[in-house]
Amino acid sequence: MPSVVSIPSTKMGAHGSGVTKFTNCLLVKGNDLVKEDLWISSVSGKILNGQEILYGQRIAPGRIVDLGGRVLSPGLIDVQLNGAYGFDFSVIPEDGVVGYGKGVLRVNKNLVSTGVTSYLPTLTSQRPEVYQQALSFLGPSGTHRDPTYGSESLGAHCEGPFISPSKNGIHNTSVLRTSPNGLSDLSLCYGATNLSYPSPIKLLTLAPELPGALQSISALTSLGITVSIGHSEASYEEAILGINAGAKMITHLFNAMKPLHHRNPGIFGLLGTTPSPTSHSKPYFGIIADGIHLHPTSIKIAWNAHPDGLILVTDAMRLAGMPDGTYDWTNGSRIVKKGALLTLEENGKIAGSSIELVECVTNFMNWTGASVPEALKAVTETPARMLGVENVKGTLKEGADADLVVLDSIEDECGKKLVVEQVWKFGECVFEKEVAVKN
Amino acid sequence: MRLIIRDDPQSASKYIADYIIERIKAFDPTPDKPFVLGLPTGSSPELIYKNLVQSHKVGEISFRNVVTFNMDEYVGIPREHPESYHSFMYKHFFSHVDVDPANINILNGNAPDLEAECLTYEEKIKQVGGIELFLGGIGPDGHIAFNEPGSSLKSRTRVKTLAYDTIIANSRFFNNDLSQVPRMALTVGVQTVLDAREVVIIITGPHKALALQKCIEGGANHMWTLSSLQLHPHTLLVVDEDATLELQVKTVRYFKSIEKVVNELGLHQTLPQKRDSVVEDQGLLAPVAQTNGVKLDVPQMDMSRSASPILEAMGSRVSGDASGMMKATETVEDPQLLRMSARVAG
Repeated sequence: MPSVVSIPSTKMGAHGSGVTKFTNCLLVKGNDLVKEDLWISSVSGKILNGQEILYGQRIAPGRIVDLGGRVLSPGLIDVQLNGAYGFDFSVIPEDGVVGYGKGVLRVNKNLVSTGVTSYLPTLTSQRPEVYQQALSFLGPSGTHRDPTYGSESLGAHCEGPFISPSKNGIHNTSVLRTSPNGLSDLSLCYGATNLSYPSPIKLLTLAPELPGALQSISALTSLGITVSIGHSEASYEEAILGINAGAKMITHLFNAMKPLHHRNPGIFGLLGTTPSPTSHSKPYFGIIADGIHLHPTSIKIAWNAHPDGLILVTDAMRLAGMPDGTYDWTNGSRIVKKGALLTLEENGKIAGSSIELVECVTNFMNWTGASVPEALKAVTETPARMLGVENVKGTLKEGADADLVVLDSIEDECGKKLVVEQVWKFGECVFEKEVAVKN
Repeated sequence: MRLIIRDDPQSASKYIADYIIERIKAFDPTPDKPFVLGLPTGSSPELIYKNLVQSHKVGEISFRNVVTFNMDEYVGIPREHPESYHSFMYKHFFSHVDVDPANINILNGNAPDLEAECLTYEEKIKQVGGIELFLGGIGPDGHIAFNEPGSSLKSRTRVKTLAYDTIIANSRFFNNDLSQVPRMALTVGVQTVLDAREVVIIITGPHKALALQKCIEGGANHMWTLSSLQLHPHTLLVVDEDATLELQVKTVRYFKSIEKVVNELGLHQTLPQKRDSVVEDQGLLAPVAQTNGVKLDVPQMDMSRSASPILEAMGSRVSGDASGMMKATETVEDPQLLRMSARVAG
């Protein structure tokens, strides 16, 4: 198993200036891999302007990391993660909120070793009391800028409960709601404090065709919460109204929505729209590239229709990494895990995934022919733009947080593969893959 | 003047990179006695930097005790502009090697007082004891640094207005928009280059052929500022075959034969020692007695028609293979040099 390398107790460490230079590496910049150096600071935890350090401040790097020609990417961002390492963000454990808080910290610490340096902890449709207890633990967690905390929450993703009962997926229909009165109904569910600015909620999935949904979208957007269309029966026209009301995203495109019909393209049709002054631009869309949720060709079609909108998500849940078997889930349901496949015991519906985000990137490259930087864009730059944090996360630009992943790009007869070799958070190395000792 | 001709830009660049490495190593710089290196930008030097970086990465050479002075920089474009020479040097050299950032000197084209910036630059060069080796390239009009045709051969670091040709040539780096091309630059002067202990120039490509011809076969002339190097005691031009297109066959053969003879005889050049101070008057007429007592073979013979002085200079490029031709067994270089001088005198 990979291990987490120890972190110096003082932030300056033994490296004097606190300036680290990565060299002999391929930087992910836009759709290209650029052979360039990257300078970061372990003091500020940010990416530096190498020229300013060299010519302006005349500081030599205290630490030079030779990456041996490997890929250096911004840290990965997962905007849909339901749980991991046996912990489920949607379940308040028996020991109450204290145990919940500890569980979140445990996920953060472990998750970072997979290359995911920031994410949106995601709640499936739950009863109001779950939101009102859980959300205070799920808000943005990066304020201390402490690399030892591991992965960072950028805010919660509430997937439901204002979704369509007929496109519920594995969400329990008994907890689904509507919001005919807009914000006041939303407050009754999530709690008024969680819907005041700044909200711990960053992303909210709802069905735009439900009563009061459009009004809710406008209200949420003005609170700085991004709205995503999903678990919805919306027709193309209804989906357009949702976008015009302010929705910016589609939750796991193709899954839990009407399929494309040539006389009514439904939600998928949004990818064919032309931005105009009267309507918002094409929405971002989540894609679960686990080989179970979607056919590779569907992914390729979506990518070709809107390459700058595609965001790879895991939709992984707490059983990721657990042995096969049947496990209790929320609201009295049970989930059967067989390999990577997770299904609901009562009806056999797909119940999230147990894949790692970097595996989604690998799948995506092999299925679509996307290059390494194009595929990484879907887990870095694109989700960061969707969340409005494109200058801080998901980029190697000066001033952004030094959240980084070193990836080995392997190419063999099975295709391309990316392997997480090192992870850096706020300018410090927090994970390094153990190298097998060769005889 | 020495002229080394190589088949292509790659091998010409490799030759220069190896030469610089050899010079730095022989100099054995320390923090108190750094090697002072003048550096150019441009497409020809790019390959040289590539070779230097590569050698550094495999641990062959350290630039820790090297002080660098760049030739020039545009006026009025941001330091981070992709076409600024700061960016060029960062991208191709400084960010890959271990030069101490405190030892990097590049003219600041955004200095509030450009005149003062230039004067300070000259002063800085003086303070470190002058430039040991100035590496340069040339423009198609024979300019060295931004010393455009018509620049005084006695010029020093100063603000320079770019020639119309240069602006047009550079517009390809600025979206082909003439209005975006900087019209002024800060540049070291011709005399600043001539003051260096040694000048090494890379010239590659057929578009530089006329310039090379003017600078070697023509007279020293301010319309081809590189030609001023004819008056420098230690100049090494390294060119590719394409750059020789305008030269007379006999010129090419002459310089090639020199290199051949040198290789056959296995001659070595005494590596120049660091000067104690800048010799202001060294000026344009080369043969000046060295003040540090080290015997330098080249200068006094420069005036003669004999090939020998050039032989002396060329000798430094003898490769390991050629050393087998030397009759002396594994002795140090000095005795061989002495024998060599005796032979020349004879």
